Amino acid sequence: MIKLYDYELSGNCYKLRLLMSILGLDYESITVDFYPGREHKSGWFLKINPLGQLPVLEDDGLVLRDAQAILVYLAARYDQSDRWHPRFDARLLGEVSQWLAFADGITATASAARLHDAMFYDFDIDAARQGGHRLFRILDEHLWFGEREGRDWICRADHPTIADIACFPYVMLSEEGGISRMDYPAIRRWCDRVKRVDGFVTMSGIFPAGPARAA
Amino acid sequence: MHGRKCADPVILDLWHPIASLAELPTGMRSRTVLLEERIGYGKAQDGVASVWLESGSEDGGGRPLPAKAAYGYLWTTLGRDPAALFAIPEYDEIDRRKFNAATIGVNVSAPRAVENFLDLGHLPFVHSGILGAEPHTEVKEYDVEVATERDEIRATRCLVFQPKASAHATGGGDVEYSYRVPHPYCAVLYKSSAADPSRLDIVALLVQPVNQESIRAHFLTCRIDETSQESAIKRFQQTIFGQDKPILENQYPKKLPLDPRAETPIRSDKSAIAYRRWLSRKGITYGVIPAAA
Amino acid sequence: MLQVDRTRWHPIASSDDLPFRHVFQAQLFGREFAVWRADDGYVNVWENRCLHRGVRLSIGINDGRELKCQYHGWRYANRTAGCTYIPAHPADAPARTITNRTFPVVERYGLVWTAEEPGGDVASFDWLERPGRLALRPIPVNASPQRVLASLRDLAFPPCGADGESFETAVESADDSVVVLCARAAGAETLAAFFVQPVDAHRCVVRGVLDRAPEPAPARLSVLRDLNQRLTELRAEIERVAAQEPAPAAFEPAIEPLPTELAEMPAISNHGRRAGFRVSVERKWEAARSIAGFELRPLEGLLPTFQPGAHIDIHLPNGAVRQYSVVNGSGEGATLTIGVKREPDSQGGSSCLHDTVRTGDVLAISEPRNNFPLRRDATKTLLIAGGIGITPLLSMAQTLQNQGLDYELHYFVRDESEMAFRDRLGELGSAVRPHIGLSAEATARQIETLCGGYASGMHLYLCGPGPMLQAARSIAAESGWPDEAVHFEYFKNTKEIDDSSSFEIALARSALTLQVPAGRSILEVVREHGIDMPSSCEQGACGTCMVTVIEGEPDHQDVYLNDSEKRSGSRMMTCVSRARSPRLVLDL
Repeated sequence: MIKLYDYELSGNCYKLRLLMSILGLDYESITVDFYPGREHKSGWFLKINPLGQLPVLEDDGLVLRDAQAILVYLAARYDQSDRWHPRFDARLLGEVSQWLAFADGITATASAARLHDAMFYDFDIDAARQGGHRLFRILDEHLWFGEREGRDWICRADHPTIADIACFPYVMLSEEGGISRMDYPAIRRWCDRVKRVDGFVTMSGIFPAGPARAA
Repeated sequence: MHGRKCADPVILDLWHPIASLAELPTGMRSRTVLLEERIGYGKAQDGVASVWLESGSEDGGGRPLPAKAAYGYLWTTLGRDPAALFAIPEYDEIDRRKFNAATIGVNVSAPRAVENFLDLGHLPFVHSGILGAEPHTEVKEYDVEVATERDEIRATRCLVFQPKASAHATGGGDVEYSYRVPHPYCAVLYKSSAADPSRLDIVALLVQPVNQESIRAHFLTCRIDETSQESAIKRFQQTIFGQDKPILENQYPKKLPLDPRAETPIRSDKSAIAYRRWLSRKGITYGVIPAAA
Repeated sequence: MLQVDRTRWHPIASSDDLPFRHVFQAQLFGREFAVWRADDGYVNVWENRCLHRGVRLSIGINDGRELKCQYHGWRYANRTAGCTYIPAHPADAPARTITNRTFPVVERYGLVWTAEEPGGDVASFDWLERPGRLALRPIPVNASPQRVLASLRDLAFPPCGADGESFETAVESADDSVVVLCARAAGAETLAAFFVQPVDAHRCVVRGVLDRAPEPAPARLSVLRDLNQRLTELRAEIERVAAQEPAPAAFEPAIEPLPTELAEMPAISNHGRRAGFRVSVERKWEAARSIAGFELRPLEGLLPTFQPGAHIDIHLPNGAVRQYSVVNGSGEGATLTIGVKREPDSQGGSSCLHDTVRTGDVLAISEPRNNFPLRRDATKTLLIAGGIGITPLLSMAQTLQNQGLDYELHYFVRDESEMAFRDRLGELGSAVRPHIGLSAEATARQIETLCGGYASGMHLYLCGPGPMLQAARSIAAESGWPDEAVHFEYFKNTKEIDDSSSFEIALARSALTLQVPAGRSILEVVREHGIDMPSSCEQGACGTCMVTVIEGEPDHQDVYLNDSEKRSGSRMMTCVSRARSPRLVLDL
């Protein structure tokens, strides 16, 4: 069985729980006491990931770290439709990779602001918030024009990809770091769409959306 | 010396929690904020913890403040004559597992967080599938009183339907809760222990007011449980509080309004009504919007 | 300093910001709004705060007809923002008119406009009324509205359809909320209005609209991109300058105190038999054989909030007052629909509505009252209707359907032509089970089957003719349904009222002792002494005039209370019930 070294309040761990739920995968969650226990910096965990970061995935003898890398692995290995990680479409795959890197930028800003406010990390909070807003302006503009072109998702496809999964959590959790999404209506609509994907699950801090259509 | 930012004499004279003692590294200084004052604290090699007002200089140090170790936390006060800290008699029972389950920052006032901790009606919505579930949304009649001998609020006989009442519960059913609010910013929840139904598990919310609109919420867990892993208990508690956090941060105004005409109560809010009146009677002004005289 | 003009209309959203089942968060002069479009197209602009505990409604759920708060699941109706359901107390209709603050709304030029206290109309621009106009991407700017308005005058952009670098942009007009620019080049001209939404002292949103959009779509998109680029560059410049100055203090919007009755623990409102609203008959049609449907529209403003199961009093032209259940589902409140069966022994109610009242007539109606509230916490809800008894149950069925809850609607009629409101029934699909042409015995057997599978958490709602209700109640009781799970509403009380007793009543809160003689009701005597008592049907069927009995034994003659409620003797209907003991102490 797949093993996920997991922490409930981590958006990066949630990305993987979300994709595995959408793909219908069973997995075992191994709780790492990230906060306040700092177990990700403990000896036993550093042997698994010398970077001392969550999440880590173990599957069939493979030990993989980095949320975006694990998304790629899970989709490539388990998604029969090849849609979440469209490996046979070079242009689309390029776009997916571009936005996976963008998701890392969201982690470095919006997630950092949240760690500062909720878990008292000693980060430059103003810089983190400004950085988050800069990225959200770019994402909102991208999604707004996407809607004009008939596109619901981050990449140019008629279905969501792991790029959506990678960007979603720390966008949704941004307000815990004092980054309001009021100025980003296209992002807010995209968040509703992600919440309506079949198999969607929430995490603490993320509310479910209403029904997509009349019952 | 700069003037105190908090002018509320009741709040200044209380003991406030600032950190879990078990998480304090020996020989290191840490910093936090209490009532808008920068506070330093640390634990010496001999295990004794101390607290001081930060002077602003690089080497730390400053005027010492009273320090007290209680319930696994380090407490301090900015007042001259702090009242005795409230009692949690069960804490001394030797077979209990007790530790800090979480310390989390929330952008809300301390009283809003306490009121949410007492609230029964939100359980099936905010903690759906864990501490409640639709369609079991009814809040059954419960009792609330201000216990005069101790000056604290008590809510008892609170029956709550829970699909999963604790870290290792499986089926659903009614669980009996009772609450104490022995301190304007602290509340204690008792619920029957899954391991020993004749005794009560305890979760206490101990709020450190950073300023009027932001807090550090410390969660003490104190339970009869020989089997659960500490990490699983922490995960459970953090999952729950992580669900409350966006609700609290979306409450407006962030300070708790004490004027009865500010928000609409219903029968199930009896404990919140009692809590707001109790704060009003004490004349508390910090973290609240006092009722117009 | 920014002037706060609360009478002026400002845009707060684009029409495109309100897609299906979304809740938009907006802000004006520091005050936040939750903005949502219901499935019927109505745009709601509400204070962004649940009256209960102040949680933002913009994080709530739009279910198409109601907005659900995330904190305690309270539901608020489309249009009125009146609370329709409080899950913590599922058996009670919200006793008070708990209503969130709403703001007026106008949709114009592809934008959604509001004002706190509007005086006058939305700024008028004829040239934006044309169908070809194009709303630009809104641009939020971290700077004061004045600074943004000043900078917008220097915005340069080419007219649609012009290529090349040679164009001119000139200010056509400008005031303290909009700058109109005209872009000209050889053979092309484009007018653009840039409305500046004052979000706060130091924040605003620029909402541009062009008078025409080029065709086809790719050309339109390139205009949108070009203007977006130019506005983004202008924003960078504005924010660079604004960041060098101290930001003005943010607005602190005042939160209005609640009316006293909402601030206290439930007090029952004291409405007598009053007509509070005037409506016109928008449509009258034959909803089924002998059943007339009436759709009522308010002469002005919005209709009051109603809950499923509620009824209204209709004051008829001939002076009669009659009660009819609201047929609409919760949150469907542009008009109210009722169904009126022609009664062969009509005493001026149904015959007046059938024969005299026509489309366009004006009627007076009361505030909706709900003495037949629907719990929405049942594991399964069984609705059993006989004949015209369909009306309240249809309202319930539509509400349960919209919320996706498990229910069945069983509809007993003599023949198919008696089935009313087929269009509404059709939308409920397979949850509707018609039972046509059954004899009394066959009906009883069918109800026996339906009541067979009782499990804890299920609830049964009955409405129909007296004998059928009587039978269904006994069958349910025999099948193990507890009294509190069986809810019923009689159209009327067909029991012979015995008003021969005389007794004394003591009114505890009013400190009055009164004599009720034979031939007079408690309600009449109490009212005579100046005490305002609500009432509606005045025949012991609707439950409006219920009172709490503190002492004494009531002589129940109503059909509203169930048997265990009657046995407990703690409440009674003052319009028909009397006393077995010489004295009653009432909580009045």
